[in-house]
Amino acid sequence: MKSVSQREPSVIPGFGITLGFTTFFLSAIVLLPLSALVLKTAGMDWSRFVEVIASPRALASYRLSFGASLVAAGVNMVFGFALAWTLVRYEFPGRRLVDAIIDMPFALPTAVSGIALTTIFSANGWIGQYLEPYGIHVAYTPIGITVALTLISMPFVVRTVQPALQEVQRDLEDAAETLGAGRFYVFRRIIVPTVLPALLTGFTLAFARAVGEYGSVIFIAGNKAMKTEITPLLIVIRLEEFDYAGAAALGFVMLAISFVMLLAINLLQVWGRKRMMVSR
Amino acid sequence: MSIALDQVTKRYQEQPVVNDVSIDVGEGEFFVLLGPSGSGKSTLLRAIAGLTGIDHGRISLHGRDVTHVRARDRGVGLVFQNYALFRHMTVADNIEFALRVRRTKAAERRARRKELLKLVSLEGMDERLPGQLSGGQQQRVAVARALAHKPQVLLLDEPFGALDAKIREELRRTIRSVQRELGITTVLVTHDQEEAFALADTIGVMNHGRLLEVGNPSDLYAQPATRFVATFLGAANLLLARQAADGIRFGATPVSAAGAEPMQAGREHEVVAVLRPEEVEIGATRDELTSNYIARGAVEEIVFTGALERLRVRLLDEPCAAQLLGPSGNDDARLEITRTQHERRALPLAQGAQIAIGARRLHVLPTPLSSFLACAATEAEAAELAREPLLESLSTRMKTRVGLRAIDGLTGTPAPFSGVAAISGGTEAASTVEWLLRHGAAEVLVLPRNAPSPTRVYIHWTDEAARRATLAVAASLLRHVSAEAVYLGIVPEGRPGSGRAAPMRALLDARSDAQQHHGLEMRTELAIGETVSELTRNLSAGSAQMLVLGITDITQAGSAYRSLLAGQPGWPVLIVYRPPEARTAPDVVSGTAA
Repeated sequence: MKSVSQREPSVIPGFGITLGFTTFFLSAIVLLPLSALVLKTAGMDWSRFVEVIASPRALASYRLSFGASLVAAGVNMVFGFALAWTLVRYEFPGRRLVDAIIDMPFALPTAVSGIALTTIFSANGWIGQYLEPYGIHVAYTPIGITVALTLISMPFVVRTVQPALQEVQRDLEDAAETLGAGRFYVFRRIIVPTVLPALLTGFTLAFARAVGEYGSVIFIAGNKAMKTEITPLLIVIRLEEFDYAGAAALGFVMLAISFVMLLAINLLQVWGRKRMMVSR
Repeated sequence: MSIALDQVTKRYQEQPVVNDVSIDVGEGEFFVLLGPSGSGKSTLLRAIAGLTGIDHGRISLHGRDVTHVRARDRGVGLVFQNYALFRHMTVADNIEFALRVRRTKAAERRARRKELLKLVSLEGMDERLPGQLSGGQQQRVAVARALAHKPQVLLLDEPFGALDAKIREELRRTIRSVQRELGITTVLVTHDQEEAFALADTIGVMNHGRLLEVGNPSDLYAQPATRFVATFLGAANLLLARQAADGIRFGATPVSAAGAEPMQAGREHEVVAVLRPEEVEIGATRDELTSNYIARGAVEEIVFTGALERLRVRLLDEPCAAQLLGPSGNDDARLEITRTQHERRALPLAQGAQIAIGARRLHVLPTPLSSFLACAATEAEAAELAREPLLESLSTRMKTRVGLRAIDGLTGTPAPFSGVAAISGGTEAASTVEWLLRHGAAEVLVLPRNAPSPTRVYIHWTDEAARRATLAVAASLLRHVSAEAVYLGIVPEGRPGSGRAAPMRALLDARSDAQQHHGLEMRTELAIGETVSELTRNLSAGSAQMLVLGITDITQAGSAYRSLLAGQPGWPVLIVYRPPEARTAPDVVSGTAA
């Protein structure tokens, strides 16, 4: 790319202004609170820091938070894909309605979804009462947490995969078919690789959203220490004990883990995109 | 036959998009399906590939009936307009795709890939991704990929559509040479006649879902049988001329014409003639012309296009000017002429110059439907009739005109009728038809009010003597409407059992005659009963039906078919009348519209 390209007229005014604005905006909204977090953490001495972040209770909460989020994002990757596929490929009555319902978890206050799920899945709830006899407890267990996280992160996968699927040309499938490929082969070798970058993006977003979720989970989790206590809840508990440094330390750890995971997925995608050479 | 299509029909929402198409493509032949967008050519190609199911008919490849065989088992290679390469795979993986599916060994795959890349001159590109290649290169990869599994048939769907002119020509040459080298039977779909000429051994021209004509490029260009082919393959001026005993007459001037045939049944009639722009000769005066003089003209427009000069000329002599058909049969038609630089230097022309025009070669179309003449009690009513949707769409599609004629009171001796007389339906229709036929009209179209464009056309004749003429008219009509053609054979009741064989034979004769001599694919149905009531029953069975009825007895129209023509709301009926003398004058030559 030649440097001249910056001089080309564009709808948005000058490079200088836009970069300046970007920096300012990121600083004020994202970086400033984050540095406050780091500063607060830095106020602790090292042994105290380790003691807080490596306590058995904290470790159990990390496992639950990241584990349940990964499972939720994974579940959504499969079923979100199926949903997106149905919406893109088929014309059926009520399609627009289904399409609109997908966005509902975005709009619903998370506390409401949490309460609703608890009502349904509790031992005498609509669904819970049928699961109970089989010994399946959903509410107040990690399963419940995963269900809540799945619900609130579902739109991310559907909405990122949908446009990608729309772009998979029918011709590609037709071409593969005339070359002798069966349906499953076409799906595995043509469709999935083509939408994989979008699917990964959806997975990342869903995962990030699930890790940060608080509102819906605290209602369905039961919040038993070591068992159903997610990290964000632990942070709130520390805050209520006026242990600001401890809360900040836990927040810092979450931040670090999330950042590393997101970075890894992003790099994976860049690599994938390079392979695809999306120079259309 | 390498590819054989037998009466293939595909409908979308009841509308046939591929209508009774039968094609035989020979071994190693390069067949080009040419037609405007929406003519059904791509649908037909997809049907051959097995990607689109068909509603009727049979498809066989190399003698194997594949009508119900899945695309992946048909053994065809298909190339798409937008390449449809797998973008996440390298060139090598793309080409080897079909082999991987078949679990071919790696070494064998590699050898085949090298061979194919050499064939399309892309050696060394194996590890590139499609995104790193130019459009032309991508399409070469697509061709190589389609050939990997050694298909018996190569199908190409507008393969050059997304490329610019220069690359297009280069790739065209590649595809032609690959095809020759492999000797693979190939079908290519395009809307570009130049492309078709450059590539094809045989061209099939499609319009409105029907295959209009099949032939080698030069024959189709020189001797088209239909208006559509004449105007779609290169530019053409269409003229209405009269065929008289002493030859073709254009306006008042007799001209000689190639393809002119002996007069049908000894009656003077109107014909449609094709005059290619390059076959027009221009002279300063009539004496300078070496060819047949046809009219004087005034130059209206001169366009320089490099090798050729393109002129638009208004004809000056009144009777001739009216006989020139514009793009939609309108009145301000202009004669298109092209001249070479050599001709231009011999006679430089400026705008407004008056010239004498000659025709070096005039080709008469074998179509019996030349123009329409709306007939009603007054001129105003005739004008209203001319605006009937069906008549309007027919004349537009046929690129012909609708004349007006007042025939008040059905008295006296009218001026000769030319073309198809059109009248409105109703209780008076039958007697009007009878009167028109008595005074020289040969075809009469009876139009109920607001009749829709038909989706099914029944064909019937009362006498075998009218068969040829009826089929010729029906074939010509059906090229311009997207409808199914059904021949209805009717056997009188009271001849049970024994008498069935003869009518069945007549049915088959009719079908093969339609196919061979008129290029018309039609179904056949047999009904038992009284003619008029059987016709009425079949016509009422669906909406948007039409009848082409051949008769040899004028009084039949006035009496027997009165109820048929007066029906409410009624159906469009096109009556084809040939006097019984036609029996003695075998018009073998006149029916060669293939």
